Amino acid sequence: MLFFRSEERVGEWCASHGYPVRPLITMDQLWTLATTWYSTRLKEDSRRPQPDEMRSIFAGLGLEGDFWDPQSDSFG
Amino acid sequence: MSLDTQTKLAIYRHFAETGQRPSLQVVAERVGSNVSSVREAYVRLRAQRVLVLEPDGVSIRMAPPFSGVPTQHVVIVDGTTYFANCAWDSFGIPAALHRLGHVHSRCEQSGEPLNLDIGLDGPPPCSWLFHCLVPSAKWWDDIVFT
Repeated sequence: MLFFRSEERVGEWCASHGYPVRPLITMDQLWTLATTWYSTRLKEDSRRPQPDEMRSIFAGLGLEGDFWDPQSDSFG
Repeated sequence: MSLDTQTKLAIYRHFAETGQRPSLQVVAERVGSNVSSVREAYVRLRAQRVLVLEPDGVSIRMAPPFSGVPTQHVVIVDGTTYFANCAWDSFGIPAALHRLGHVHSRCEQSGEPLNLDIGLDGPPPCSWLFHCLVPSAKWWDDIVFT
């Protein structure tokens, strides 16, 4: 889970390692993910989101499909 | 409050206060229990995916978003330096602390530095991108690589 200066730099990095290019996330989307995941982490009743909650969080950001499905078996 | 919850809070609050991982002994003292019981709580917290341990079973590698070891993702909040496990977690630290923060990282391809002042409402307009290589279903197969 890394930062890149541009889509071009992502493509170069993936090509150099033989990795597929995955969906790209903007900084605003990343902030939403970070706050959704972690804003209650220091509280007594905090817990990691469950699979159905993860799907809902991702879908709210337009992140859908097998790549974002925490229970997908499409990747071996 | 259960021992597991006390242990989790002791770990996270130690990270929040110091930027560093606590030792098993420090956590045990903080929760008023013995190291053996706290070690067992560590195993259960790992199963809940809120803790990642080093191979020794007692040193904390990750208490997401906090990293127990130095990384390229550095976050400064109120003068305290924190290390994040990944780009996502670098935003997660100011989000967890509900404080303003400064994120220092880099473009993984070019090495160009990234410096972002994170406000309570998030980062300023920024064209940088976040890339997650590993599919969601596989994140915890090897969370350090993820």
